[in-house]
Amino acid sequence: MGPLIPNGIITGDWNFVIALLIGIAFGFLLEASGFSSSRNITGVFYGYNFVVLRVFFTAVIVAMVGLLYFDYFGWLDLSKIFILPTFLKPMLLGGVIMGLGFIIGGFCPGTSYTAIAIGKLDGLFFAIGLFIGIYIFSLAFPWFKDFYYSDNMGHVTLTDVTGIPASWFAFGFTIIALAAFWITMIIEKRVRKNFTEYKF
Amino acid sequence: MNRNYIFLTLLMLALALGTLFIKKKPTKPETPPETLLWEIIQPTRYVSTDQVARMIIQKDPSLEIIDVRSPKEFSQFTLPGAINVPPDSLITETGSEYFGIPGIKVVFISNDGILADRVWVLAKRLGYNDLYVMKGGLNRWMETIIQPKEPGEGEPYTAFEEYEFRQGARLYFTGAKVKTTKATKAKVIVRRKKKATVASGGC
Repeated sequence: MGPLIPNGIITGDWNFVIALLIGIAFGFLLEASGFSSSRNITGVFYGYNFVVLRVFFTAVIVAMVGLLYFDYFGWLDLSKIFILPTFLKPMLLGGVIMGLGFIIGGFCPGTSYTAIAIGKLDGLFFAIGLFIGIYIFSLAFPWFKDFYYSDNMGHVTLTDVTGIPASWFAFGFTIIALAAFWITMIIEKRVRKNFTEYKF
Repeated sequence: MNRNYIFLTLLMLALALGTLFIKKKPTKPETPPETLLWEIIQPTRYVSTDQVARMIIQKDPSLEIIDVRSPKEFSQFTLPGAINVPPDSLITETGSEYFGIPGIKVVFISNDGILADRVWVLAKRLGYNDLYVMKGGLNRWMETIIQPKEPGEGEPYTAFEEYEFRQGARLYFTGAKVKTTKATKAKVIVRRKKKATVASGGC
């Protein structure tokens, strides 16, 4: 059956409608998980709050395992969905920059908007900084254009690169994620014991 | 520990474990368009009605005739040994199990050969090999095998040979009697040596 638009079940005009609905759901869930508080987000780095890790790991493993079942039941053809091209080195650097931004600013781009939505000033300033950063990046783009497009591996998946079936990755990642849930819970408990100035 | 967490952890673990047992049928890679176009213009993808007839008569085990017409038409008339696979069941499991068998030549037939041609392209795109189309389809089969025309005078010797074969094939497929020509009907005159008669009477 799926993907709906490439298979012509609905037209491409629905893109914006679906994007809007998913955006609303995403924002709602970010706020509901407590992502609009930069304390919760940076907690990962200090070891007192792993909600970011738990929420995103849950999203990843549910989506991953779910998609494999969808493919099996014939509801979604996984060979037809769009895969972002991989630029290995630029992506590694981008990840480092993103992580730095995370710990320094206390938000990731999406969560800063949920913070604005509930009236947080730090979220507002983060978002303003975001646009200044995008502006600077666009102006400086010609300087690192070559690096930006380097190391293009195309639309590859881990299965394409390693030859190991996707279900093994899904299973392995699920084990890692589930182990991480329980380990982080223990870490959280130990770290929180020593906290006196902040109540959970 | 929260009991919900334990339950959800076990559920997720079971679901992830389940993905390992999902057997995905290996999908054949689709034939790239350039290859497909090249294959479409090859005349070797056609087989003549004579070739098909010869293979049927010789009971060639590598021949597999696929009738792509509707089941109704198929029930009315088809070639001996043909299998009915309408175009819409081509990609289903029962339809596709006839293709891609090593050493088997699949010959598509339809009424005029156009539908068979289309199905040929579809099956080729699905990545199967050893596919052929009977040129002219069953209409041409009727013209050549069932009601062969006698070649006129001045036609090459091969035409007569072909005609002879087609007459034989017609006999094989319809059970009709060979039309005998006048020449063969002519009475055989047996000439016998006249017995020498004993001279009677004198001079």
